[in-house]
Amino acid sequence: MLRIFIKPELCAGCKNCQVTCLAEHSPSRSVWLVNLSDQGSRPRNFVELNNEGQPVPLSCRHCDEPECVNSCMSGALYKDPATGIVAHNPEQCAGCWMCVMSCPFGMIFPDARENKVSVKCDFCAGRDKPRCVEACLTGAITLIEVPSSNIDGKYPNLARGE
Amino acid sequence: MRYLILGASATGLSAAGAIRQNDPWGDITVLSGDRHIYSRCLLPDVLAGRRDAAAARFVPEDFLRRNGVRWAGGVKAVKLLPEEKGVAADNGDKFFYDKLLIATGSSSYLPPVENINRGRQVYGLRNLEDVWDITRAAGNCRQAVIMGGGLVGVDAAVSLNEKGLAVVIVEIAGHILPLQLDQRAAASYEALFRNRGIEIITGEMMNRIILDDRQNVTGVQLKSGRVIPCGLVVAATGVRPNIDFLEGTPVEVGRGIKVNEYQETSYPDIYAAGDVCESLEVFTGKVAPTPIWPLAVLQGQVAGTNMAGGRRKIVNNFAFKNSMEFYGLNTVSFGFPEAPDTSYTTYIMESPGSYKKYIFKDGCLRGAILQGDISRAGVTGALIRKNTPVGVAPGKLFDLNYAYFFNQRENGEFVL
Ligand SMILES: Cc1cc2nc3c(=O)[nH]c(=O)nc-3n(C[C@H](O)[C@H](O)[C@H](O)COP(=O)(O)OP(=O)(O)OC[C@H]3O[C@@H](n4cnc5c(N)ncnc54)[C@H](O)[C@@H]3O)c2cc1C
Ligand code: SF4
Ligand code: SF4
Repeated sequence: MLRIFIKPELCAGCKNCQVTCLAEHSPSRSVWLVNLSDQGSRPRNFVELNNEGQPVPLSCRHCDEPECVNSCMSGALYKDPATGIVAHNPEQCAGCWMCVMSCPFGMIFPDARENKVSVKCDFCAGRDKPRCVEACLTGAITLIEVPSSNIDGKYPNLARGE
Repeated sequence: MRYLILGASATGLSAAGAIRQNDPWGDITVLSGDRHIYSRCLLPDVLAGRRDAAAARFVPEDFLRRNGVRWAGGVKAVKLLPEEKGVAADNGDKFFYDKLLIATGSSSYLPPVENINRGRQVYGLRNLEDVWDITRAAGNCRQAVIMGGGLVGVDAAVSLNEKGLAVVIVEIAGHILPLQLDQRAAASYEALFRNRGIEIITGEMMNRIILDDRQNVTGVQLKSGRVIPCGLVVAATGVRPNIDFLEGTPVEVGRGIKVNEYQETSYPDIYAAGDVCESLEVFTGKVAPTPIWPLAVLQGQVAGTNMAGGRRKIVNNFAFKNSMEFYGLNTVSFGFPEAPDTSYTTYIMESPGSYKKYIFKDGCLRGAILQGDISRAGVTGALIRKNTPVGVAPGKLFDLNYAYFFNQRENGEFVL
């Protein structure tokens, strides 16, 4: 599977990744048209200063053993066995915030506009490469291939009669 | 290998998944009192009419088929027969196993209140059947009384209020949600609830349920003597583990089935996990029941892995975490809601719509309440679970985020 890898020492704190994430999840998908002053839209990644004042770009890890998924009582969150992506289905989500309470890294949060369902990084579903990776000009956000954490697909699928 | 799982909720089904991941060909049977698969945490939504019962299912439609699980729904274990490695069921059948998981969870506990077992409209809120019963009773009355202002009680109150009933919550402690919140955080909810017409009576106890000559509930009487008319009582006063079928067996039981860190019981080849067991909890360092959904799932995974020949120890068995949302106000809390004594230091920040509180001892976070903005709450929870010095200046506390603790593995995973 693919995972976003972060090199904080290369981060210039330009927040390009945040703007582009906002744009990708806005109706137009355009960086030019996205409404930056809209309190209801917020990026799914963020750049924060650490104790030394160094900016650190942060986003969901699509963990091998995702605590958000384990805490989800509705089945809205699941790890896609094929891609390793931790996906969220807003139709099923109950807004109970168990995932928000359980992600040790703070990478999933209530939707800022409606406060009804949680939102997280979807790895820009449908694109080859997440847009934050493309937007990072310094190399602080890169993509790496990691051994598949997907144990679900390791064994034959009995339902398919394999 | 024959695996038998008793219970088809968070614990049972997460164990079934873990067994299948580790044993592609094993024979898995799930015996479940529930006829259908549903998330108990979604029952308040079903009661309120926000979601239909089918949408309360928490695993995909094809879960059983995809994992090759044999399903015995609506069947209950009535007797464990450890010598013959079997379980007798209420339909007369016997089920045999090589490895058994007890994931029978818990039931609503009804406290010793006069008439509680005789009143016809007295229900817990635990099973889908309870939702149907409460819905029926709610259709025949105008006011309901909720015994207990914990999470389930408050959930029930909000749902019934949404259905148009007048609702009264009776809570023994000085404020609602006493295990999860301090007085200040609870007060925000109490104000919201009163605004919506939910009456809250604190510091009071139920004395008696008043019945007519056909055992119909007509009201309740409190310790103070006050009488509240109602046609429905919901008892939300805690749970007790479903262990009746273990009577007379050598499986050791305390406040739940005793297990070690592999979820093994005292008897060979029998495992237990989730609400039905008691385990070593990390926040208190004590053995206790851990009746929350995330730990049911985690313990189920550990049990399933070990039943299928793995050797996985439970880590992060942390039960002191709570999240909630009522009428648009969010709260997450961890650890102690109040400092237990003066050796703790408390930091509080309040602004309109937001309340944050952090409780420290010797540089370690031991409790927190985040009300209003709860994003990134999980970082605080992880620090409390870890119980090591936080090393962040108090001024930065209210904006705790993972940048302070950034630690990335070679494979890009984070560690905290
Ligand atoms: C209204 C409500 C709201 C909740 N909200 C939250 C929340 O917000 N957050 C949270 O963390 N937790 C919440 N919980 C608690 C959470 O639902 C439980 O911790 C979780 O369901 C425990 O899962 P379990 O599989 O161990 O047991 P259970 O869910 O109790 O399931 C037990 C299973 O065993 C079956 N069974 C019982 N006896 C037998 C028998 N003799 N033979 C065969 N099968 C049997 C039952 O039919 C059921 O399938 C809530 C609970 C309720 C009732
Ligand atoms: S939201 Fe958090 S726990 Fe879930 S996959 Fe992302 S980083 Fe992991
Ligand atoms: S808020 Fe939604 S996604 Fe998160 S745990 Fe609850 S139901 Fe699952």
